[in-house]
Amino acid sequence: MKKMIVGENILKSFGEGDDKRNVLDGVSVEINEGEFVSVMGPSGSGKSTLMFALSGMDGIDSGKVTFDGRDLSTLKDNELADIRRAEMGFVFQQPTLLKNLNILDNIILPSMRDHREDVSKITEKARLLMEKAGILELEKRGITQASGGQLQRVGICRALMNQPKIIFCDEPTGALNSKSANEIMGLLADIHRAGTTILLVTHDVKVAAKTERVLCMFDGQIAGEYLAGAYDETRNDLKSREESLTTWLAGMKL
Amino acid sequence: MYYRIIRNDILRNKAITLTTMVFVAAAAMLVSLAAILIINLSGAIDTLMTRAKTPHFMQMHSGKMDTGQLAAFAAQNGDVAEFQVLEFINVDGARIVFEKSSLADSVQDNGFSVQSEKFDYLLDLDGNMIRVSDGEIYVPICYMQDGSTKVGDTVEVFGREFIVGGFLRDSLMNSLLASSKRFLVSRNDFMGIGELGNVEYLIEFRLKDISALGAFETAYTSAGLDANGPTLTYPLFKTMNAISDGLMIAVILLVSVLVVMIAFMCIRFTLLAKIEEDYREIGVMKAIGLRVSDIKKIYLAKYAAIAAVGSLLGYTLSFVFRDMLLENIRLYMGESENASFALLFGIIGVLLVFLAIMAYVNGVLKRFQKISPAEAVRFGISQEKSAGTRLFRLSRNRLLGTNVFLGIRDVLARKGLYATMLAVLVISAFIIIVPQNLYNTISSKGFIAYMGIGQSDLRVDIQQTDNVSEKAAEIAAAMEADSTISKYVVLVTKTFRVKMEDGSEEQIKVELGDHSIFPIKYAEGGAPATGDEIALSVLNARELDKKVGDGITLTIDGQEKNLTVCGIYSDVTNGGKTAKAVFADPSADIMWSVISAELSAKSLIREKTAEYAERFGFAKVSDIDEYVVQTFGSTINSVRKASQAAVGVALSITILVTLLFMRMLVVKDRYSIAVMKAFGFTNSDITAQFVSRSVFVLLIGIVLGTLLANTLGEALAGVVIASFGASSFEFVVDPLAAYLVCPLLMVVSTLVVTIFGTLDAGRIKISENIKE
Ligand SMILES: Nc1ncnc2c1ncn2[C@@H]1O[C@H](COP(=O)(O)OP(=O)(O)OP(=O)(O)O)[C@@H](O)[C@H]1O
Ligand SMILES: [Mg+2]
Repeated sequence: MKKMIVGENILKSFGEGDDKRNVLDGVSVEINEGEFVSVMGPSGSGKSTLMFALSGMDGIDSGKVTFDGRDLSTLKDNELADIRRAEMGFVFQQPTLLKNLNILDNIILPSMRDHREDVSKITEKARLLMEKAGILELEKRGITQASGGQLQRVGICRALMNQPKIIFCDEPTGALNSKSANEIMGLLADIHRAGTTILLVTHDVKVAAKTERVLCMFDGQIAGEYLAGAYDETRNDLKSREESLTTWLAGMKL
Repeated sequence: MYYRIIRNDILRNKAITLTTMVFVAAAAMLVSLAAILIINLSGAIDTLMTRAKTPHFMQMHSGKMDTGQLAAFAAQNGDVAEFQVLEFINVDGARIVFEKSSLADSVQDNGFSVQSEKFDYLLDLDGNMIRVSDGEIYVPICYMQDGSTKVGDTVEVFGREFIVGGFLRDSLMNSLLASSKRFLVSRNDFMGIGELGNVEYLIEFRLKDISALGAFETAYTSAGLDANGPTLTYPLFKTMNAISDGLMIAVILLVSVLVVMIAFMCIRFTLLAKIEEDYREIGVMKAIGLRVSDIKKIYLAKYAAIAAVGSLLGYTLSFVFRDMLLENIRLYMGESENASFALLFGIIGVLLVFLAIMAYVNGVLKRFQKISPAEAVRFGISQEKSAGTRLFRLSRNRLLGTNVFLGIRDVLARKGLYATMLAVLVISAFIIIVPQNLYNTISSKGFIAYMGIGQSDLRVDIQQTDNVSEKAAEIAAAMEADSTISKYVVLVTKTFRVKMEDGSEEQIKVELGDHSIFPIKYAEGGAPATGDEIALSVLNARELDKKVGDGITLTIDGQEKNLTVCGIYSDVTNGGKTAKAVFADPSADIMWSVISAELSAKSLIREKTAEYAERFGFAKVSDIDEYVVQTFGSTINSVRKASQAAVGVALSITILVTLLFMRMLVVKDRYSIAVMKAFGFTNSDITAQFVSRSVFVLLIGIVLGTLLANTLGEALAGVVIASFGASSFEFVVDPLAAYLVCPLLMVVSTLVVTIFGTLDAGRIKISENIKE
């Protein structure tokens, strides 16, 4: 299988002198093309920091991150920006939308940077995504005129606009109730089925149970890896997947 | 607790706090200076005019004098307190030779007189009446200031040597705008010179009560007394003494208004940014039941602190500059008696600035009322939607690049914030353009036409002599025969009586001849073309209460002649009270004659001036350019310097404010910047967005500034120019400078500063700013 991301011995620290702590303490990780991977772990264990490191959004102190065969540390700021725009998508815990733009404009913003296609084509594509996400009627609203779950879906639509190879999701369902969370997960599953690689951070076992592989972080290190295999809705085995994941997590003694 | 909040806030925004404070200090300093100057100036003028016992009414007269008739009139008129006739001996400038140079090029009518006995004293620099001994001479103070001579030097007049005993203040003729200058010599020396120059008489009155001045003027005129020359009154002397320093004060006041406005803008910008930043906290405070006035107090206290420190600083600074600016007033007018008052008024001025700032802050804080706690807590941002941006959507954008679009859209979406920057830029553009246009206007060749002087090359005055018309004809004949003179015109001035509506009569000087050859600018109407038309100077029109189209009746040779007022013009010559007409009048009673001529080549001006001066010794020949340079040269020069300084000041303001705004915006917008970067916008994209914002605002600013400069600015400049005696004028605009060079300068500096100011955006870390 082709490797999408390879992280080798990643070291990242914050603070100076006595305060200095390794937030990522020699993390090695591989994400394959087409995989749906989740990252779990207690608060402060370094999950978000790992996402920023793997996407090249934040530099690392030592180690190496390769994305699609390119060593990210050798790339310039602008080249990294180009990769983020064209090949990666991001969904954060908060909606991270620009408050001065309306919802449609927020979604098309990354595509408008290059203007490779006609505006009407771009808008058309955005509408299609919004329809799939069930938020088409919000198109012209400002971002203060939508609910949290709706805004999270806006964020997903935005992440999908440039047909990225991989989507990074940092607790996309963290602030949502279980109904909204299920809908979001359904959306992500669709995207995954369409061939997009997904790396997802979550606290929620129900969410992680729907992914193929679970990485467990503890104190800046990957403490363990759980292979769940592809999830198929039709098999109705979600309950048992959840249970075995819970048991495994308990065994990690976090 | 307040103290801690304020201190933290000030420390966090050091740059903008400091800038605001500097502008407040500058405003306080200027206002306080203006107040101190006004008090000192008016005080000094009063002191000078009181000590010198300035006459209330003065009639200049040349020719035969009937002293008996005058004395009888003075004795009989109940308003007169004192009366005297002074002799003033007009001496050609070339005859007054200082050690370094003579006064040959002076446009002033220089002359000699003795110290008067009753009033109108000439004072020394300590404000005391001068007692001059034989062989000594006291020189008008303006020749001390321009460095012509100094105490102890010798002055040669008609070959006689005098020692400069000191300098004199002349309450009548101190001002450069007064065209005569009196030198003081002893009675014995005066007798010696008397035979060599032309005698002119100053018929002077002091009244028991100055309010009777109007009635007295009428009485004097209707008594038909000697009046062959300009009439001047006490208020006019006062104005002339005040004008040059008054102008400086006006400029200081104007600048201080602008500085106060900029201080306001800085405050507004920081406040709006702060409110936006604190939106959620303010909402929470409201939600937990704090009153708006409680919340306001925190913000008010901060600005009270800034304004108080700024004001104190400004007041202190005004002491540093005070003496420098008072120098001229002290030199020409002496100390003021109420100088201690000035300090008090300075404090009042500073206090006004302080209160204005607090009122303004309070006004801006009104928007606290509008903050809804529910919205603030839920969204943390205000839901105010600005109209206009609704139509301006990215999804509809087909014209502009995305970065340019986002930049412009941000400006439209946050109008309130950018309005502040816009206001500063408009003011800057205004400060650059107006003084420049003013300079272009008053330095342009045509400007003198606004002041009642036709645009010719050469001017020949025949005054204070007999047989004026023969002499004028002699010169005209010479000009006719002179091939280098392309055109010329002879104008003669005669006195006529005007019948007033109430039956009384006034005298009016009318300049007769062809007024179309060297036309002047008319404030209203145009030049007289037919025999029944007359144009009046602004002062005369006001005095006679006439408008264009009104009728006026003159008595000519005992017969009444009805004329129509065809035009009104500004005039700075002959005391400003003149009239122009073309009708023929055979009487020989000419007061003076002026011959204007244009030369075929400008290079000949010097040579021809000298030639005619040599040939016609009885006439005063002057080169118009020289005349303008000497009369207005120093003014033009200072306006030029002021306009250059204005460009510097305005550009610095633009740079400083843009830099501050951009840096603050980067800090404020770091979240949006991080989001955009996360989604693949590069640092140069972000810079491009910021450049689009500032250039967009700047372009609007330049357009508005230019519009404002050409309307409001023109009106303001009109006020300044009116003080030189011209009442209507239009800007002469140098399109290259006004519409290309200056805007370009502003654009380039804004561009550079924006790029420089947004460098920090490149250092914004996505990972640190994206978690809110
Ligand atoms: N910019 C920073 N400066 C200093 N310390 C930081 C910074 N960012 C993160 N940290 C620290 O690094 C550690 C890991 O942070 P990170 O955000 O990766 O945790 P996380 O696993 O995502 O936690 P959560 O589940 O709460 O989101 C935390 O202890 C945090 O305090
Ligand atoms: Mg996290």
